[in-house]
Amino acid sequence: MSDKKQQVSRRQFLNYTLTGVGGFMAAGMLAPMLRMAVDPVLKESGQGDMANVGLSVDDITTEPQKVDWKITQVDGWYESEVNRSAWVFKDENGDIQAFSPVCKHLGCVVSWGGSDEYPEQFFCPCHDGRYYKDGTNVPGTPPLQPLDVYELEVRDGILFLGDAVPREGA
Amino acid sequence: MKWKKTDITQYTEAKEYIDTVLIPLMPFEMESDTHLDVNAFQYEWTMLLVNELEKELTGRMMLLPPYVYRKPIIQEQELKRIDSWAKEIKKQPFNHVFFLTLDGGWKKHEEVLPGTLLWLPGMKSGDLHSADMYRFIRDQVEQMSELIQSYW
Repeated sequence: MSDKKQQVSRRQFLNYTLTGVGGFMAAGMLAPMLRMAVDPVLKESGQGDMANVGLSVDDITTEPQKVDWKITQVDGWYESEVNRSAWVFKDENGDIQAFSPVCKHLGCVVSWGGSDEYPEQFFCPCHDGRYYKDGTNVPGTPPLQPLDVYELEVRDGILFLGDAVPREGA
Repeated sequence: MKWKKTDITQYTEAKEYIDTVLIPLMPFEMESDTHLDVNAFQYEWTMLLVNELEKELTGRMMLLPPYVYRKPIIQEQELKRIDSWAKEIKKQPFNHVFFLTLDGGWKKHEEVLPGTLLWLPGMKSGDLHSADMYRFIRDQVEQMSELIQSYW
């Protein structure tokens, strides 16, 4: 018994404990630093994220329909829910199109067939701006650029939309 | 257009396109607790409504800061004051002035108001963030927007 006890000397015992405690403290200091270093990787990106707009691809027709959804936006120091909407339809090639409803003139909300005279165009009620079905502005009306296009993605037959991206002027 | 710097800068550059102003009329009284409640709720509602409306028609309509007045009665002097507001507004090239309120008291004075009164009866309490309320307000906004467009 006494032999075994002597296997660990007082000096060794102190060394072990000090190394142990020291290592523990060092780990305690390093872990948050490491976590901070890799934090940007783990973080979910708020912007540029695709949002489920609650529309099945099968329900999209050639007739533009308006979809509304909400995203959380961090603006300065407060977080807010922002409502977004889009005009969604299938073009003649069967490709899905999603246009921003914001008029490129002064930012009113355009609607499909909003004018009785031009049922096959997007119409802005503020200054009679018009866009063809492919989103390009009708020359001679106030807007000078085509409607913005949403980034889109289809996951499991459900439509996901991202940010609206401007197009080149016509 | 909202009452903030970036929008106003845009306005001064594109004045010829923005010919309409919208002013929310907000009652203010401190006396009874129940009225306080209702006032605050309707203030929130009205602000929500006009903000949504402004979003629809932002390119042609400017949302001005609320016109706040003391309840319970709309007196002669209040009509004079609102008239002076309208005169001030006319210093810029605006053709249409809309007042939006939940306070029925203005209805009686509609003829003498220096603009078009949009009065709508509102609720006295409720949850502004519920989905039902959202749909309700959206519907209101849509109809108001059409109404304003019919004046253009």
